[in-house]
Amino acid sequence: MPVEIPKDKWTGKVRTVTLGATAAEGGTRTKSIVVGGDTTMPFMQFEAPTAHTPVIAIEIKSRKPDDWSSLLEETWGSVMSDPAAWAKAAEAAGADMIVLWLSLEDTADDAMRAVKSVLAATGLPLAVYGPGQVDKDNELLVAVSESANGEKLLLGICEDKNYRTIAATSMANGHLITARTAMDVNLAKQLNILISDMGLPLDRVIMDPTTGALGYGMEYGYSVMERLRLAALQGDAMTQLPMMVTPGFETWKTKESKVGVGVPEAWGDWKERAIHWETLTATALLESGASIVVLRHPESLKRVRTAITELMTA
Amino acid sequence: MAEHTVTFTTADGKTATVHAQTGLLLAEAAQNAGIDIGQPCGGQGRCGRCAVQVTAGNVRRRSTLRLSSEALELGYALACQSVVEGDVSIFVPEQEKIERKLTTDRVAAEVSIPAGYDFNWSQTIRRYNVRLNEPSMDDQTDDWSRLQTILRQQHKLESVTCSLQLLRRLGAILRDAKWQVGVVGNLRDKNMLEIIDVLPEMVDEDEPLYAAAIDIGTTTVSFWLVDLMTGKVVSQVAEYNGQISRGEDVISRIIYSSKGTGRDELQKRVTDTINALCATACKRVKSRPAEVIKATIAGNSTMIHLLLGIPAASIRYSPFITACNHPPITTARELGLNFSPDALIDCLPGVASYVGSDITAGVLSSRIDSAEDVTLFIDVGTNGEIVLGNQDWLVTCACSAGPAFEGAGVVHGMRATNGAIEEVWINGDTYEPTTRVIGNSKPKGICGSGLISLIAEMFLTGVLDKAGNVNLTIPTNRVREGEHGGEYVLSWASESETGQDITITRVDVDNLLRAKAAIYAGFSVLAEQVGMTLADVQQMYIGGSFGKYINVEKAVQIGLLPDMPWEKFNFLGNTSIKGAYYTLLNADERERIKDIANRMTYIELSADNTFYDAFTSALFLPHTDMAKFPTVQSAFANQSS
Repeated sequence: MPVEIPKDKWTGKVRTVTLGATAAEGGTRTKSIVVGGDTTMPFMQFEAPTAHTPVIAIEIKSRKPDDWSSLLEETWGSVMSDPAAWAKAAEAAGADMIVLWLSLEDTADDAMRAVKSVLAATGLPLAVYGPGQVDKDNELLVAVSESANGEKLLLGICEDKNYRTIAATSMANGHLITARTAMDVNLAKQLNILISDMGLPLDRVIMDPTTGALGYGMEYGYSVMERLRLAALQGDAMTQLPMMVTPGFETWKTKESKVGVGVPEAWGDWKERAIHWETLTATALLESGASIVVLRHPESLKRVRTAITELMTA
Repeated sequence: MAEHTVTFTTADGKTATVHAQTGLLLAEAAQNAGIDIGQPCGGQGRCGRCAVQVTAGNVRRRSTLRLSSEALELGYALACQSVVEGDVSIFVPEQEKIERKLTTDRVAAEVSIPAGYDFNWSQTIRRYNVRLNEPSMDDQTDDWSRLQTILRQQHKLESVTCSLQLLRRLGAILRDAKWQVGVVGNLRDKNMLEIIDVLPEMVDEDEPLYAAAIDIGTTTVSFWLVDLMTGKVVSQVAEYNGQISRGEDVISRIIYSSKGTGRDELQKRVTDTINALCATACKRVKSRPAEVIKATIAGNSTMIHLLLGIPAASIRYSPFITACNHPPITTARELGLNFSPDALIDCLPGVASYVGSDITAGVLSSRIDSAEDVTLFIDVGTNGEIVLGNQDWLVTCACSAGPAFEGAGVVHGMRATNGAIEEVWINGDTYEPTTRVIGNSKPKGICGSGLISLIAEMFLTGVLDKAGNVNLTIPTNRVREGEHGGEYVLSWASESETGQDITITRVDVDNLLRAKAAIYAGFSVLAEQVGMTLADVQQMYIGGSFGKYINVEKAVQIGLLPDMPWEKFNFLGNTSIKGAYYTLLNADERERIKDIANRMTYIELSADNTFYDAFTSALFLPHTDMAKFPTVQSAFANQSS
């Protein structure tokens, strides 16, 4: 007996967003990335093919981080003290995109120099995030934005208490922004409205609805992302933005990934466990609608890539 | 334990000395010394308004959360958080005075007597004139039997009862009145009379018989003196609830009542308020409180508990249970009210911890329980209680909006008294404000209606973004970075009564947005619970004095009230006391309010995530879903274009 699989029909569509500008587009990237455009729930290929393959970004820092797991130091080695070399290594590891976090110690000149060196080292699209302190973020990002005019960088992170400056500079210099809110559908939507009220077109905004690691609130983030996607498909224009989440950042701070000694034997091999944690969290978030996942470990990148490939062909 | 000498000096030069043991709170020591120090937060150390100055000696400060380092250096301490540990001298600064400007002072509208009121038909209260036979050696019947017998003979009252207290006075009354008395009582059944009072003379049919309808609000107590013979409200008075200085909201009061002798003190404070109101009301009609023979009282559940002296602590904690929703009828004597000692005190039935008899009385008087149209009723006081329904069903909930709209939790907030900015207009080009101040004086602060108006204007002119952030990039010196983030200067120091800039800060805006979001979320969740949307609501009733002065358009613009045509809004004033009045006049109405209390389905908003979701969605100007506010959307578009 033939079984007919029911298909959902949606009226809404996630906006298509292009990151990174090639020479033809006024930048220096060797390729740009297109995300979004979804017309169904994730990977429902039988309803409609996934418009754009989800993207994996690698997180790097402008200065060598002192709080990262030794497992990460082991794998990246000396490049961690040089953002350009690190970006190059990430590209070699298969990253589609680089997310460069600036540091609190950076001056505007340091930030511009770091960005310039990363742009020179790889042709991948680049996101540049401030250290997360309002005044510092605004100071560094404005400098970076102006010096990298036209590159279609993804600047961040905009939050509801601090979005004006970043949105304005990105509007003036042809960049995009990341809008982050704390795991809540309404908050996400509100920030998008605020940004849109400033006049920045929403096809230059990526939303980061915030997530947690597996076992640390991921399921809550998952359901928020799922609800955002459902709202988007139902036609709510203010939620029709591609989503970017940071499973690398989340999982590498959990005890399971961070601690190798003094834990139960049943937890198994430390390195394998840490990579599983990052991979599983990222894969689940792709299933809930993420267009960009930001990872830290190159092995996780490889495994998540395999998962994406299989989901795209399934 | 060591005993110390504590000397208090007040701003007006009064000095009082008391002995106190180590560890006694300054607030208690002051009370022992007969000096009143207000504790608006109920003694939690949160408001900082009980600060006193230590001029000699020292005290131990448990918390200094609300004191600046300069104040500490000058020796200031919070009276509710500092304890005696040695001989000490304390200066008590001038206490905040509550300047009276109550709604009833503005308008005491004539209350119309319900149609068809007839004392004999509507009341269970009876007044009889009786002439007793004087006792003699031939007739040695005791006084009480003598009275019972005549009532049985003349009025077919088979069972007549009275209190011991009345019996103690009876002999004297009968003899002073030369055996001709008036008897006031309550018919329990057709033939059963409970005597309330024996009057020392016979009374004419048209002599008034006084009773009271009372609304105990967290902030204001209203008192209507009623002549039961005609049903007429003969005088209306209102006064701030004497408990205010021991907590401005119900939670602070519950906290205060749970400590030491707090419960007794609060009970006394509210009965003192009622007694004073009664005295004033009676004086206006040349009567005395002792002539008041009955009162019906409506109030939120906490107020009723505190009046009755019932522990209220369980109201505050999950699962939020009252000690009783249908309090028994008691007497004035038992509560310490100066009415006729056996006057019946009938506290009306409530529904739940946060939906009290003020709301059931509101439903009764606004007649939602017999309305055909789906009606949304809100009583905005310190809490926002909401009722949705019609003749077939009623659902209710309470959202803790907090006292932001009463000016609390806002730096320059104040009650609607003289000097309060009550309306604001902001010029969209210059960002300069124009204000209207109550009493046409220099501004001292901003009251609830002023705050609503201010937020709406700031939003529409772009001073605030939709999230309530102050836009510091607009070209005016009215906006600036303050201690708590962005702020807007409404009045410069040179124009204000206080000599300080009157500002609204980011924190204030957040508090107000939370208050309005809680109320709007309450509306939407209640509608959702019965499978409706706010668009299905056919009429909106707004109770409480709050509704009287707010500008509906502005309240809609900030998303406090749903975007509906203006003609659907009805402002009813104090519906609670009106309900108390109706039940006072008519036994059937008293039955009806019981039925209302039983019929109302209470929705506990904290039971699941629905409310939180609706709340965050409403935590935006006017709302995350702009489509719910079409008129605001177009006003906003016009303004920004």
